[in-house]
Amino acid sequence: MLTKEEIDARLEELKDRLPESILKELREELHKVKLTEEALESIIDEVLKRYEYAKVEPGEAVGVVAAQSMGEPSTQMTMRTFHYAGVAELNVTLGLPRIIEIVDARKKPSTPMMTIYLEEEYARDREKAEQVAREIETLYLEDLLEKSEIDIVHQRVNLYLDEYEMRRRKVEMEEVLKKLGSVKGVSVEAEDNVVSVVPEKTATIKELRKLENRLKGIHLRGIKDIRRVVLRREGDEYVIYTEGSNLKDVLRIEGVDITRTKTNDITEIQRVLGIEAGRNAIINEILDTLNEQGLQVDVRHLMLVADMMAVDGTIKAIGRHGVSGEKASVLARAAFEITVDHLLHAAVAGEYEELEGIVENVIVGRPVKLGTGMVELVMRRELEEAKEAREAE
Amino acid sequence: MKLTKYEKARIIGARALQLSMGAPPLIRLSKDMHEPITIAIEELNRGVIPITVYRRMPEKKLLGEEE
Repeated sequence: MLTKEEIDARLEELKDRLPESILKELREELHKVKLTEEALESIIDEVLKRYEYAKVEPGEAVGVVAAQSMGEPSTQMTMRTFHYAGVAELNVTLGLPRIIEIVDARKKPSTPMMTIYLEEEYARDREKAEQVAREIETLYLEDLLEKSEIDIVHQRVNLYLDEYEMRRRKVEMEEVLKKLGSVKGVSVEAEDNVVSVVPEKTATIKELRKLENRLKGIHLRGIKDIRRVVLRREGDEYVIYTEGSNLKDVLRIEGVDITRTKTNDITEIQRVLGIEAGRNAIINEILDTLNEQGLQVDVRHLMLVADMMAVDGTIKAIGRHGVSGEKASVLARAAFEITVDHLLHAAVAGEYEELEGIVENVIVGRPVKLGTGMVELVMRRELEEAKEAREAE
Repeated sequence: MKLTKYEKARIIGARALQLSMGAPPLIRLSKDMHEPITIAIEELNRGVIPITVYRRMPEKKLLGEEE
């Protein structure tokens, strides 16, 4: 039987031949079982064999394979999109529409959503978690009102605060009055749960209406764009789900675990955390959407897609306005969409066709630089040279 | 260095074409070897084919790669 140390020592030798992630997994799994040296060797051989087999060789048409590998499951999805179970009480775009959204690199997802994880101390305690949640959810004065009315005779707007809502959201009267105090050109009177706002100058009905609307829209607390929060218990911790997304401001809130908190708005991640984070977000979002539908796609295909979208430092769409539209070759662009415009523009601008890519060469009818077409062979002359030398003698 | 599957295919293809046009085989043939492709494969395995693969590197330099 081999000891753990012996296994580790043997695995250490494979450092150059296997990636770290596989080595780590292998180490963990091997520590769980009893092994003879022979068994270990055969396992290692098998792993190496499988790893080599999974490698892509130079010349492989990885792009086409990636396109097919995502395209096929997508057709499966269109047929099944309409019956899915949503996450908690929140409505989330899933399935094909979501994939299209990601690949098109939309500025805003149709259902922005955040998953906010909390730091240890806050995550275990319901009270504290709720406190953070309250701090995040946007609260407008309107949300606290039972009703509001315009009193023309006394020249004022009366706001009836809902005591139940006040208690539920833990808002104190002082807080409301303080906010109202910062409104210019009015004075505020409070009696029980009725607040009267009186303009300093005599106002017309129209002006009072305008004032009423302005008061309702006063932002009391919370983060802009986050319309709703849901607190859920997951395992032994509380997690906050939100409708609406504002990563930058949420990360500033105390108690939020900035290492795990995420949003489904990919461009926002790219803006706040940088392009590498954006690239990872694309991969994870597509992978999650596919897995949620029970479809298994190798990550490497998604990595290729994400790489193409993120190469130039910002996230660009696949398609006319992004990757395909920015190809260097005129013919490749013309082959995709709006053919005539591309050819016309190229002619006017005097563009040059290098015939380096695949599509161009297919159009022109030359062998394509892919697979066997990419190999350049040269005859070694030594045999002939030897013959020539013999003849010279 | 190891050849990719595409390089192998191209070399075997090119060599088989030569053989089929009458080039002398570079190995001693056994009785059951008649097919140019079979012969080419055997030649490649033995490493006697006088063909060099050029691999283009990103810097446009050429790297001459033996068989």
